[in-house]
Amino acid sequence: MITAELLEDLKAILPEERIAVDNEQGHPLGNSGKVTVYPNSEEEIANILRYANDNGKKISVVGGGTKRGFGGIIEYADIGLSLANYKGFVEHVVGDMTLTVKAGTPVKELQEYLAPFNQKIAMDVNWPEYATIGGVIAANDSGPKRLGYGSARDAVIGLRTVYPDGTVIRSGGKVVKNVAGYDMNKLFIGSMGTLGVVSEVTLKLRPRTKYESLVLLSFPEGDLQGIRSFAVKLLDSMMEPVALELLNPSLAEKLTGQHRYTLAISFEDIESSVHYQEEFIKKIQPAQTELKILSIKDALVFWDQFYQMAPNGAADTAGPQTEAALKIGVVNLDVINVIRECQLLQDTHHVSALAHGGLGHGLCQVILEGSSDDILSAINLLRSSAEQLGGYAVVKHLPFSLRQKVNVWGEKPAHYFLLEGIKKKIDPNRILNPGRFVGGI
Amino acid sequence: MAAKGIKSNDKHILNLAAIVGGERSILYQKEDLVAYDCDGFTLHKHLPKAVVFPKNAQEVARLVKYCSDNHLPFLARGAGTGLSGGAIPLNGEVIISLVRMKRLLNVDLENRRAVVEPGFVNLKLTNSISDKGYYYAPDPSSQYCCTIGGNVAENAGGAHCLKYGVTTNHILGLEVVLPNGEIIEIGKNGIPDSPGYDLLGLLTGSEGTLGIVTKITVRILKNPEAKQTVLAYFDKVSDGSQAVSDIVSAGIVPAALEMMDKIAIEGVEAAAFPVGHPRDIEAVLLIEVDGISAGIEEQINQILEVCKKRNVREVKVAQDEQERGRWWANRKTGFGAMGAISPDYLVQDGVIPRSRLPEVLERINKISEDYGLRIANIFHAGDGNLHPLVLFDARIPGESEKALKAGSACLQVCADVGGTITGEHGVGIEKREEMRFVFKDEEIIAQTNIREVFNPDNLLNAGKLFPSPGRCVEIKTEMKAAASR
Repeated sequence: MITAELLEDLKAILPEERIAVDNEQGHPLGNSGKVTVYPNSEEEIANILRYANDNGKKISVVGGGTKRGFGGIIEYADIGLSLANYKGFVEHVVGDMTLTVKAGTPVKELQEYLAPFNQKIAMDVNWPEYATIGGVIAANDSGPKRLGYGSARDAVIGLRTVYPDGTVIRSGGKVVKNVAGYDMNKLFIGSMGTLGVVSEVTLKLRPRTKYESLVLLSFPEGDLQGIRSFAVKLLDSMMEPVALELLNPSLAEKLTGQHRYTLAISFEDIESSVHYQEEFIKKIQPAQTELKILSIKDALVFWDQFYQMAPNGAADTAGPQTEAALKIGVVNLDVINVIRECQLLQDTHHVSALAHGGLGHGLCQVILEGSSDDILSAINLLRSSAEQLGGYAVVKHLPFSLRQKVNVWGEKPAHYFLLEGIKKKIDPNRILNPGRFVGGI
Repeated sequence: MAAKGIKSNDKHILNLAAIVGGERSILYQKEDLVAYDCDGFTLHKHLPKAVVFPKNAQEVARLVKYCSDNHLPFLARGAGTGLSGGAIPLNGEVIISLVRMKRLLNVDLENRRAVVEPGFVNLKLTNSISDKGYYYAPDPSSQYCCTIGGNVAENAGGAHCLKYGVTTNHILGLEVVLPNGEIIEIGKNGIPDSPGYDLLGLLTGSEGTLGIVTKITVRILKNPEAKQTVLAYFDKVSDGSQAVSDIVSAGIVPAALEMMDKIAIEGVEAAAFPVGHPRDIEAVLLIEVDGISAGIEEQINQILEVCKKRNVREVKVAQDEQERGRWWANRKTGFGAMGAISPDYLVQDGVIPRSRLPEVLERINKISEDYGLRIANIFHAGDGNLHPLVLFDARIPGESEKALKAGSACLQVCADVGGTITGEHGVGIEKREEMRFVFKDEEIIAQTNIREVFNPDNLLNAGKLFPSPGRCVEIKTEMKAAASR
């Protein structure tokens, strides 16, 4: 049996207790390994990659597993490479506000570690207690606060990446400003682990939020023009919301109990400035809307709940219904159209849709639940509307069996040959996460 | 046809002229070409074969295709303000000047973005939208004349990038002519995170070696509601740098946090925009905070307190926009101001972890003593980006070489303390060899491999950014060749 031979080979690289053989029951989300290995060091990661590269073995890389349902057309790779053991802090220079961590460190652990130093990483992601920093970077995940925070590409200043041949390539560095050579960090962010295995990440830190509040502004049914006018007015003001996120009525109901289109407007600053901005919102509050302000603790509770709405690939529970999640990108204010479409398709497609999108950055997340067929047709509908708006739709979560039936990434871009060229240069034997990215890369 | 009026028998000149529509859009005679033999880095000079001035992306694409088909080296140039030699035609390139592609194509305030052609001048963008209360954040000191296309190539920074980020954080989309003449669009419609590797991030800062940008979608920002600027004078550099750390540790993210040392002060006070800095202090800090008006005063008070705790001699808040403008003019013309106290100067661009500042300044002092050259320091202290200015006199034989060596030694210090060799000026020709201070051979090869994907014949801006292959690289290549035989 192939696995037996593979197992023997891997035992020469890692101690037996850090090698797990899959019991062959299969994971509904795929992206597993026949054998899963848990390296403890960068050197072990390099040895595993080198072994796979020399012996034509395919590798599926996993961190906390929250994104197991994101892309990928193979159920089992030869080797599952888990970075769950490769976690912890390498260097934190408090005065420089930089932090170097191992890729398997969960985001929440990072934030908890930084809090006593009055620092944070400016990232708001789904399932922070499970999602590892390496996984967030590989998938380029971001949340509503991207408007004020930026995304992984703005926070990452340095990476150590193990290439398929085992070479460790450093990109960027430990300083916040750096134009020496190509900005190779960007290449790995969002590459879905198809180029190398990021082992260490250096992040630019921000001061911890001193005070925050969340203004929830809910609109009467169907008043999309009202939402638009309000958002334009707010964006044209000098206020500095960290998030300006539109929730569809279904999602708003789950989070606030109110089945109405709701704007979640987040402020983070010193207390006087936050209150000043709340007052501004009250001043321009449109007639017939309802306004509620959640301060510090209540705001935190809201966001905690918010980041647990998306499907979690690391959870064992699979309900009777099929779950899917989409990331849709459009021009900022077109988000309103996308969120409306999501609300409406619930009736036409017999699915439930929890949707939100940022009016200041143009990215939406849509969580669908329903029968497989309905989910597939809803995905197609949402993709075609996004494309009509000049945008795109990527399927962030879908069971393995359905990923055979839908193109997770959409059509290849016209410049696909460049993407393919980059892949060929770095991973010529296609050992890393094969088929998990755009166009089958 | 369109090449009429061209006084040359060179078929390439005639053909290139035909693509851009004739004699008014091409330079090819020596007396015209000398203006293009270098950019803001003047220690290397080389004549281009020709300079062409296309009007649109299609012409750029046809020029590129022609060069590629005929194996003519070529490169793109904006305003030529680059400080590392990125636009110098080392190989007698055909220079594709983008200065005639200078339109502001679209402003979409509601979605906070603008589309410009590459030759559009940085400051013009802010000037075009400031009446509506918007601005474009990256503000290199040369912003009154440098082009946004050049900013993309160099990933330009500026004084205010401490809070708002450098060029790469503000680019949403690009139209690019690849070295084979194909036109591609990345970051389609300026929408973030389009599926695929982040070519937008890769191209920004690639110093014109991967493609020629012909259209740029940028993010624009709303003006901050309030802004306050502080000047603080310190008798000791160490107190000044400690104040920088304290401000940041207090959880304040200033919009800008600039520092000048004694020699730099001597320079700026002798030049066109003196503001009356005392001449006997060791350091001046220029600090700006902006944001919501309700929060500014508290931040300013904290900053004043920090400065006092660090033995500041004098600290003052700008009373009006005029005073603020004078302080900034004094700082932003700092490089040129060195001309008032030295015949020549060489500016370096290292970056260090902020906390190592006192130690690094001491080591730069030592370099200055060792080489017998004065070194002024102007820097973006908040993000650790140093600009040591090595003062020298090129008329004295050997002094230029000495200045280059002293500059390089400063970069070695930056690399030694865990920093890097360039924060915003780029590698260009100037710092090719210094790339070895921060990258191993494999890491340099990893980068040139990427270049090969875009620019396989290396006709576009060859000889920039990377050191000449080292001995060990050659051996590796030889071994590979031997193995494949």
